[in-house]
Amino acid sequence: MNIKASFFLARTTILRGNKGTLIMTILIMTLAYVNLIFISSVFGGIVEAINEQSIKNLYSNIVIAPADDEVYIENKYAMDSIDTIPGIVASSAHYINNTLISYDANNDGNDVQRGKWIVKSVDVEDEIRVTQISDSMIEGEYLDSNDRDKIVIGKEIAGGHGGDLDYLSLGGVYVGDEIDIKFSNGIRRTYTIKGIFSTKNSQADQMAFVTTKEMESVLGVYNLASEVIVKINDDELGQEEKYIKQIRQTGLVDEDIKTWKQLTGFTSSASKSFTMISIILGAIGTVVAGVTIFIIIFVSIVNKRKQIGILKAIGMKESTIILSFVMQAIFYAVIGIIFGVSIILFLIRPFFINNPLDFPVGWVSLKITFNIIRISNISLVIAALIGGFIPAFRGTKESILDTIWG
Amino acid sequence: MIIEVKKLKKTYEGRVPTHALKEVSFGVKEGEFVALMGRSGSGKSTLLHQLGLLDAPTSGEIIIDGTNVIDFTEKQKTEFRLKKLGYVFQAYALLPELSALESVYLPLMLTGVSKAEYIKTATEMLEKVGLGERIHHLPKEMSGGEQQRVAIARALVNKPAILFADEPTANLDSESSETILKLFKKLNKDIGQTIIMVTHEPDDKKHVNRVIWLKDGVIRPEGT
Ligand SMILES: Nc1ncnc2c1ncn2[C@@H]1O[C@H](COP(=O)(O)OP(=O)(O)OP(=O)(O)O)[C@@H](O)[C@H]1O
Ligand SMILES: [Mg+2]
Repeated sequence: MNIKASFFLARTTILRGNKGTLIMTILIMTLAYVNLIFISSVFGGIVEAINEQSIKNLYSNIVIAPADDEVYIENKYAMDSIDTIPGIVASSAHYINNTLISYDANNDGNDVQRGKWIVKSVDVEDEIRVTQISDSMIEGEYLDSNDRDKIVIGKEIAGGHGGDLDYLSLGGVYVGDEIDIKFSNGIRRTYTIKGIFSTKNSQADQMAFVTTKEMESVLGVYNLASEVIVKINDDELGQEEKYIKQIRQTGLVDEDIKTWKQLTGFTSSASKSFTMISIILGAIGTVVAGVTIFIIIFVSIVNKRKQIGILKAIGMKESTIILSFVMQAIFYAVIGIIFGVSIILFLIRPFFINNPLDFPVGWVSLKITFNIIRISNISLVIAALIGGFIPAFRGTKESILDTIWG
Repeated sequence: MIIEVKKLKKTYEGRVPTHALKEVSFGVKEGEFVALMGRSGSGKSTLLHQLGLLDAPTSGEIIIDGTNVIDFTEKQKTEFRLKKLGYVFQAYALLPELSALESVYLPLMLTGVSKAEYIKTATEMLEKVGLGERIHHLPKEMSGGEQQRVAIARALVNKPAILFADEPTANLDSESSETILKLFKKLNKDIGQTIIMVTHEPDDKKHVNRVIWLKDGVIRPEGT
């Protein structure tokens, strides 16, 4: 094998061959590559959107729950110290209560709509730094720290606001309406709806929020919490375990502390499915790209049958000829990758950042990770290797005389 | 003898087997310029293919420069073609993407000589065949005769023991043909190049040292 000669032949073929063919080939490779990245990125984007909704509206990054045999987290001092850990943005303590909510539209005891929902309490100042529910109001306003008989509810509780579970809702309540809540300890209170929110997480939309002060007066407790959710710095994402260790050191030794990942049961199974689909589509895309290269090289070899015979006749080794075609294939793949990456990063990605797709799970943009790009690059180059090698190997096996006169 | 052929047979197996060469034996001395002549279908090309290691004979022996090449593997044949044999086809045997110079230095490149050296040697070779002014031309920018001279330069650039040419002038006008034949004669004279050329032209006889006549796959004296 003479690598120099292979390279020389590959180079002259590419540079002096038909320009139209070259442009078409590069175009096809670029599209094949964009296709590989695009599909994985859309699925990556969907998974990320699902996760983001869970993080933004439900769990934030870390969730602290009471120890196994406890109802509440009682270490107020520890809860307060969490915020002082560097890298942690804020934490928000909630009381959680399973309630029965009812709405009597005409105040006459007839046609009362009711259902069971979770009511959580929030310290407004803390909460707005940790979740984004306060930014998701579609009607009315979020709570203020001093609100007592006010409540904000999710659109799935309210009904009539485009939720998916309207048949389970209160059948259409609006800001200003009054609803009755029976807490798990039997206490009943009436609240005026201050706001209705709609996130892209239906679990969050099935919750209602009152202030901590209000909840403590209902439950008759003080300075406790049913859960504390903790937000860490964006650039620390993925480091949750490290922060859990630090949180434990504040004194929350026996509490049940989990990352959002561990809690997203449904979403993680959904994201596993999406990952699976994207791997399958990626594999198909790679095979298609490989077959495309195969066809390109195959056609080129059919056109160069005679020339291959001549090269063999003047004493060029088959392996040298094969390598020159494989080099061409890899060249097409690499150029496809370069153009493809440029298109993805400078055209498609900005486009989808500006125009995200509205999926039920959230606003989906493309999630283009270095990993996806690397895997696609390797896949395409391997596809080019194989797609270039097979036709070249077969083409050079023909006898010299057959190729020159056949 | 630079080439010795003993009882060489070539049968093309097919629905009807063709005995293209039937026990051909002859020898060519170093520095000879030999013409292979005979009617169409007499086996001239077949014989040249066997000698040029482009095909595998059915039986017999070919000894080139003291080496029996019959039992060579494909790899050995390739190597031998590169270093010991030059082959000029009838026509259209240049790669369209390569300039004259590149076509000629490709075989040198394959032997692993340095870039400076292969450019120098190839340029000299092109000058020898009278194409010093055309070294950067692509095949489509040259006449048939010029292309054929590039092919000859390419065949000669590795200083082969034998130059084979299968009707190298068949596609050329008489003037170009004359140039090619004069070139062969000059090469034969000046550097003692052994040449075996298949030709149809009775006129070519006057340029060569000897004519080998083929008839129905066997060597016959002229006229029989
Ligand atoms: N690949 C092949 N398969 C079968 N028969 C073949 C093949 N090549 C040549 N022949 C036959 O072998 C015989 C000799 O052919 P060859 O090509 O050697 O003749 P030639 O003397 O070169 O003729 P021409 O002057 O027309 O070139 C012919 O009968 C031809 O039909
Ligand atoms: Mg012939």
